[in-house]
Amino acid sequence: MAQITLNAVAKTYPGRPARQLFRDVSLDVGDGEFVVLVGPSGCGKSTLLRMIAGLEDISGGEIRIDGVRVDELAPVKRGLSMVFQNYALYGHMSVFENIAFGLRLNRTPRAEIERRVREAAELLQIGHLLERRPPQLSGGQRQRVAIGRAIVRAPRAFLFDEPLSNLDAALRADMRVEIARLHQRLGATMVYVTHDQVEAMTLADRIVVMGPNGVEQIGAPMRVYERPANVFVAGFIGSPKMNLFPARHDQEDRVAVGEATLPWRAAGSAAGSGAVTAGVRPEHLLLAADGPLRATLLLVERLGAESLLHLAVPGLAQALVASVKDAPPPEGSAVRLDVRPGRLHLFDAAGMRMAAAGDQAAQEKSGT
Amino acid sequence: MSRSGPPIRRRLRALGMGMLMNAVALLFALPLLFMFASSFKSDTAIFKDLSSWTALLPAPDWSLANYRAVFDKSELPTFMLNSAIVAALTVVGGILVNSMLAFALARLRWKGRQAVLTLVLAMLVVPFEVIAIPLLSVVARLPWTAYAHGALVVRHGWFNSLQVQIVPFLANAFCVFLFYQFFRDIPSELDEAAKMDGAGPWTIYWRIIMPNSGPVIATAAIVLFLGAWNQYLWPAMVIQGAALRPVQPGIQQFFGRSNSWGQIMAYASIITLPVLAVFLACQRRFVASVMGSGIKG
Amino acid sequence: MTFATSSGRDSAWSAALFAAPAMLLFLVFLLLPLIVAAGATFSNHRLVSPQPTEFVGLDNFRRLLSLQVVVIDPIADGAPRYPGWRAVRAAQPRLQGYREAFRLHWGRKRVVLAATDPLFYRSLVNTFRFAAMVMPLQCATALGLALLVNQKVRGRGFFRTVYFAPVVTSMVIVSIVWSFLLNTDRGMVNELLRAITGDGNAGPDWLGDPGYALPAIAVMSAWQGAGFQMLIILAGLQSISPELYEAATLMGANAWQRFVHVTLPGLRNTLIFVLLSTTIMAFGLFTQVDVMTAGGPLDSTTTVIYHAVRAGFREQDVGYGSTVALVFFVLVLAVSLLQRKLSSRGESV
Repeated sequence: MAQITLNAVAKTYPGRPARQLFRDVSLDVGDGEFVVLVGPSGCGKSTLLRMIAGLEDISGGEIRIDGVRVDELAPVKRGLSMVFQNYALYGHMSVFENIAFGLRLNRTPRAEIERRVREAAELLQIGHLLERRPPQLSGGQRQRVAIGRAIVRAPRAFLFDEPLSNLDAALRADMRVEIARLHQRLGATMVYVTHDQVEAMTLADRIVVMGPNGVEQIGAPMRVYERPANVFVAGFIGSPKMNLFPARHDQEDRVAVGEATLPWRAAGSAAGSGAVTAGVRPEHLLLAADGPLRATLLLVERLGAESLLHLAVPGLAQALVASVKDAPPPEGSAVRLDVRPGRLHLFDAAGMRMAAAGDQAAQEKSGT
Repeated sequence: MSRSGPPIRRRLRALGMGMLMNAVALLFALPLLFMFASSFKSDTAIFKDLSSWTALLPAPDWSLANYRAVFDKSELPTFMLNSAIVAALTVVGGILVNSMLAFALARLRWKGRQAVLTLVLAMLVVPFEVIAIPLLSVVARLPWTAYAHGALVVRHGWFNSLQVQIVPFLANAFCVFLFYQFFRDIPSELDEAAKMDGAGPWTIYWRIIMPNSGPVIATAAIVLFLGAWNQYLWPAMVIQGAALRPVQPGIQQFFGRSNSWGQIMAYASIITLPVLAVFLACQRRFVASVMGSGIKG
Repeated sequence: MTFATSSGRDSAWSAALFAAPAMLLFLVFLLLPLIVAAGATFSNHRLVSPQPTEFVGLDNFRRLLSLQVVVIDPIADGAPRYPGWRAVRAAQPRLQGYREAFRLHWGRKRVVLAATDPLFYRSLVNTFRFAAMVMPLQCATALGLALLVNQKVRGRGFFRTVYFAPVVTSMVIVSIVWSFLLNTDRGMVNELLRAITGDGNAGPDWLGDPGYALPAIAVMSAWQGAGFQMLIILAGLQSISPELYEAATLMGANAWQRFVHVTLPGLRNTLIFVLLSTTIMAFGLFTQVDVMTAGGPLDSTTTVIYHAVRAGFREQDVGYGSTVALVFFVLVLAVSLLQRKLSSRGESV
């Protein structure tokens, strides 16, 4: 298994005007690590993956695998395997032939090919499909064949380009688990691209959140969840979406939200910062009889396990969303809200996270 | 468009439409039916039947006499063989050559790609008649190797050969265009997966792209076959003598020499049969691609 | 066997290998003749000749295109009588080498259009006449066929095949079979006419009468080509959303109104393409003429291309033949550009 290092990688599309996708991406993927590139469509995550694979040129910087520079090498020479979003199976060949294709091109001896293909097929439970052709298979089966094709070449690392996007929700959940187990079994280095933050959170050892400014944050899933580096990451990670609303930090130890105030203290001694953006996740917005925030319940969405409450808060233009597990009060009632301690995030005028006083302790407690 | 009026009206309409379509079909099939029917009749029978519908039907005393006469009197078998060879080689060579260029245009990235694409599209506009005569001059001066006196010699001029009927028509701008459009629709992920597996351009072309191109290969085959089999002007110009003559100039000559309607119709039937057979076999594909290629002009 | 070295661009070497065969063939068999044609128009190149080819400047063009208009007064009063062409030419030295192409009447005078190659101008007129006849006939037929075949009746695939069958038949075969059908004494067409009108002498000499030959060929060509255009129009018809028809029906439109207000506008682009391609193909009329009438009777079916091939090939004058062909090409280009322009008025392309 291999380490993949990206150093100040940039990508610009030529033309008039030249379009710069990202400027300065640096990333260290450790041996056996599962790294997920996540972000909205168009942020360049697939492009970055393809640059690692060798299917796209890099406009600047360098890519190294195990310390060796590879950005001039053809894809096959980099020793990587890729699983594509649309499976990219060769429809006119049998499943066996699909998986064996790379080995055949490499002139691997026949017996060896047989062995390795069957081994991969067993691992993915598609041994009974080897004589069929891709058009006869279901989506999930095709995806397994694609993974089989990637495994059989014993690559140094695996690249996944939104492999589950074309599957329906139930199948996606199953395949997610399969991929996680595959990683456990093979212990392989995996770089995985997705726009689905649930996949990112559940599969990754580390997440790379990509957004309008290139790489927004790199970190373990829980860390990114608990301490988003900026407004973009805060709004992207976590479902339902974090509530983000304007507030004022004029006094050292509190934040004014509409007509109410919430306690918040900066780490270090920063005086008031003026206009800020505050963020609270719906699951951390609580109904409390004596909470500081007054609100009116506009709408209840019952999801079964939880309910989403849409609340109008005086002084705020948009509604806040709270997620509760108990029976919600009737629509139209006046309620009071509180924020779970330590779960109020503040972002400065530039959108960057402002360090809070309790961060250090929380970090040590959760071990992120 | 079919829910107009009460059922009886609808029935009548459908009946009327059916009759109309059948009448038109008869009109369109008439000349060919006449040709086939007459080929089995003696000349007197043909003339007798002319003013009635029986002209389109075989006579009760039909025979193959005309066909026998054609085989005796003319070198039709030779002509058929020539046309078959020319058509076969044109189809195979044409598919290869045109698909390779289309692959380079659709799949590879190289400088000058855009220029060549524009050039190919421009060549679609040039009618053959414009270059037919100067092509004669060109072809008169091209070299070709041949075996003579036990050694390889170089002869000049391609007249009266098979290659003059084949080679100028291998590169076909329309076929290149067909292949190009089709290749563009094949997802490039297939190429990329193959690249990850270590395939180079030729492997991708030969083992991935072409096997997935059945429909367009069939269409190109028909286009090239029809072009080669139905060729008239060019072979009339470059082939003298019967040895290498193909079927169309052949029948034209027979038409000029013979007085027998029946025999001429037999000849015509023989050389039209392969075309109709190929067409009937592939008509769905062919129709689909003609319909798919012309809408926006 | 990896050709590519860098990941983004494919090596020029492999691209060249793929493109080379076809490009080479195009170069030698399409572009080279085109260049030779352009060059030949300025020379007296012959197909096989012991003499070397010489540069003759614009002589070919002059020989092809020179046209003079000569007005001739009648000789005597009363019933008009005119001097013969030879006499007129002798009287005016500038008319040396000119022959009569067309003769018109203007009041009491006779107007003669004289040219050094009268056949060229007559072939030009023939070609335009032919195109003017074929185009509406073939396109209207194709439209009719497409509308028929578009109905949801059983066996429409069969009908579509039958209507298309003439297209795949070689033009030589079509010409020969139609020659029989159009035979004056015994052809089916005239037999039918005689049966219908009851007149034993009915039925013109289709291919032998200068007035009827070209129209006969036009009808035959329309028959042969309609199937092809039918398919293209059919594709256009099927791309018109059925919802448009439903909306029109709900608003009370009858079949004719639906045709005019939904079908025709929806077919606009398709019809333009069909008209254009039919015209261009019509201009290239050759095989039918060669097989059926050899340019006659009285040059009434000689077309520009027939003239070019006869001059360039049968008479071995490649320079002159190329000149005719090139003028033809420019003509076709001009007509198609004109047609394009006329039909794109009001259209936002």
